[in-house]
Amino acid sequence: MSRTETSQAEIVEALLAFIGRGSATDAEFEALALRLFVYQFTHNAPYRRFAQARGRTPLTVRRWRDIPAVPIKAFKDLTLSCCPPEEAERVFMTSGTTGSGRGRSYHPTLAVYDASMRAGFATRVMRGRDAIRMGILFPDETALPNSSLAHYLALAREHFGTPDSAVFVGPTGLDLDALLAALAEAEASGEPTALLGATYAFVPVLDALKERGRRFALPPGSFLFDTGGFKGQSREIEPDAFYDGLSAAFGVARESCLNMYGMTELSTQFYDDGNAVCPPVKSGPPWIRSRVVDPLTGADLPEGETGVLVHHDLAHFNSVSAILTEDAGVIVPGGFRLLGRVEGSASRGCSVAVAEFLAAAQG
Amino acid sequence: MSTVEEAGHLPGLAAETIGRRIVAHRAWGETVAVALPELGGDQARALCDHIRARARDTLRGMETARIVAAIDRASACLLDRTHPLRRKAEALLPVVTGYDRETVRLGLTSTLKTFRRPQLLRFLAEDFSNPGMLDGFQPAVKGGLVRARGPDLLLHVWAGNVPALPLWSLVSGLLVKAGTVGKLASAEPLTAGWFAQAIAEADPALGECLAVTWWKGGEGGAEAVFLTQAECVMAYGGNDTLAALRAKVPITTRFLPHGHRIGFAMVAREALDSRRTGPLARLVAQDIVRYEQQGCYAPQMLFVERGGPTAPDEFARHLAHALAALASRHPRRRLDPGEAAALAAWRSAHEMRALDSDGRSGGATLLGDPTDPWSVVLLDDAVTLGPSGLNRSVTVVTVDDLATVPALVAPHRAYLQTAGIAAAPARLVAIADDLAGSGVTRITALGRMTAPEAGWHHDGRFSLLDLVTVTEIEASAEAAAEGFAPYAE
Repeated sequence: MSRTETSQAEIVEALLAFIGRGSATDAEFEALALRLFVYQFTHNAPYRRFAQARGRTPLTVRRWRDIPAVPIKAFKDLTLSCCPPEEAERVFMTSGTTGSGRGRSYHPTLAVYDASMRAGFATRVMRGRDAIRMGILFPDETALPNSSLAHYLALAREHFGTPDSAVFVGPTGLDLDALLAALAEAEASGEPTALLGATYAFVPVLDALKERGRRFALPPGSFLFDTGGFKGQSREIEPDAFYDGLSAAFGVARESCLNMYGMTELSTQFYDDGNAVCPPVKSGPPWIRSRVVDPLTGADLPEGETGVLVHHDLAHFNSVSAILTEDAGVIVPGGFRLLGRVEGSASRGCSVAVAEFLAAAQG
Repeated sequence: MSTVEEAGHLPGLAAETIGRRIVAHRAWGETVAVALPELGGDQARALCDHIRARARDTLRGMETARIVAAIDRASACLLDRTHPLRRKAEALLPVVTGYDRETVRLGLTSTLKTFRRPQLLRFLAEDFSNPGMLDGFQPAVKGGLVRARGPDLLLHVWAGNVPALPLWSLVSGLLVKAGTVGKLASAEPLTAGWFAQAIAEADPALGECLAVTWWKGGEGGAEAVFLTQAECVMAYGGNDTLAALRAKVPITTRFLPHGHRIGFAMVAREALDSRRTGPLARLVAQDIVRYEQQGCYAPQMLFVERGGPTAPDEFARHLAHALAALASRHPRRRLDPGEAAALAAWRSAHEMRALDSDGRSGGATLLGDPTDPWSVVLLDDAVTLGPSGLNRSVTVVTVDDLATVPALVAPHRAYLQTAGIAAAPARLVAIADDLAGSGVTRITALGRMTAPEAGWHHDGRFSLLDLVTVTEIEASAEAAAEGFAPYAE
């Protein structure tokens, strides 16, 4: 390696400074992306082999867009970490609902993750407000120590929640009575309230409210925040019906129903400005950029064409910054629209394709 | 839009009353708009009544030989490259299905050749010891007499984009004199209708007993009528589609499902000498390229035996070379995002395994670049049968002995159908015996996997016998009748 070795401490310092600046030029993003590529290429052996197999090395890559993106499934099969995995302060794992194995992201320090989360949340969710009373519809960090979402929501509560914020999912599941009592109290007090949780966690609440004929009119300034989709944990609801349902049940306009798009394999999250129209435009802070590619070749598609999303998250420094997702998307002015998962399509004829074969194998 | 092609064949319905849904298909820089028929519930009922009545009044009385002659003439029309229907097929099918022109042209000819008179007679002889039982009572071997009748109303629910595939079941139904309604596959909504038109041209009375239509699956109205009116339903599609259909078909209706299948090929060490390797690899490549592995008979995995003069990895390289060579004559169609994603997922799964630092599950080699219109993955160790990413992707699995392959495919019995084999005669039969035990129903030479022969037994079933109901006059009735004859003593 002809360049000077960069230490983890230097990378962390550079990232914290980058996040702290709050804005970045194309050149600044590219410079740090290339520096991180060298770092990851040097210290992450499976990623190095992956990049070499594609003929992409620090000597040949000159643009951030040419940094090879690892398919998200690789986080299940490979140990993608620059530090020895046993030295990680925290390992986030995917929920492992689909297929075999759980994807793992190793974090030698959570300093960068936390800084990235707080900066994004402050700008896109809090929007200038310091604190809000939060009700959280997801288990806490002690229950799910390997869940990036549990950690994310703990940060949200710790840094942006008022002291009377509470988690409503315990060891026995959703504490509906406590949640309804808190919502009634919020309604009466006139104090803005935020409900945050996994998308699927809202479904039983909606069902229970409908069953009891109960609706809330949360005070102005309240917002709802969902993330992650239904994941087979609840019935699937079409986005428009889902946000109409939320809006009606809690008395919060669809403009104030925010959806966060994040994943275990990233350290930065994307947000929208409400779900008045679905699918909304998603975007992230300056240290994450997205491309839409042909999944087979990895080549960028022209703007406006639907393809598969690649996210390039500088904050995910210890593993791999460029990941090829399984999400379909299209680049639009101001960000991208998320168009759902890219399902490996069935065959057009009568041969068995992988999806059907796997479904049968899993019974 | 350059063309609007009206799909289907709907005798007994006034053309101006038929609703149409226009669907545009794009490929090779051209667009073809297909106007699919959309019938209301009442029209569907009227169509069923018409077909059923004509089947009873005219089709029942037709000799099988006349039906064979009509199908033969219809096939002749579509084999004649100057005939307007054939010209239309060659022009439109590449755009509708996305397959290249040469593939469509060769595929049409190969399929239609199996529906000429000698082949049709063979088809009948395969299933009936005496095809005369379709025309009237014939002596039964056990005594008495037997007659076979097809259903008054047979419904075909076709699927998939492999051109002319529906003709197999369409022809089977006609041969047993079934009043026929076929539902076009959205992905190839033309050939069955053209064939029906050619039948009607060859024998107008027969054309009245045959309808080809379309409906949007799962949407009330016409679908419910067709599914409940039919006496027998022959359906194609994935398991979910078939399960949904079966749930809508009355229990008294015969339901004959043909689900998706996975094909594979095997190459024995005796076939792997320097003289034969190249040609064999080309034959396998043809099986892979023909219809882009969308047909149920196409190979997705190739088991190659160690110990021959050509090693399995060398064979894999020959195969890659043959696929690359075929790509210029038969370019792969543009993949949609879902197809590209499926292929990318299959490739990357193997790639990740190859990169795994521990090397435990290594031994995977990817041939070809992601941008190549083909992919070959070579595995050093035996694995159980699994699907490839389709669209010219194949896994070459190295095995020590081909005799181990039946056990590697057996776990997927429900999905097995065709196996292509290159091996010496004694081994062919020995391996075939084990494959039959694992659920394989069709064994072919390499290069012939995508071209079933006339009279083949689709999914191991009797294509004609499964459709008919026999009526037997037992020997007792025949003998007793003698007692009532005017000449009785």
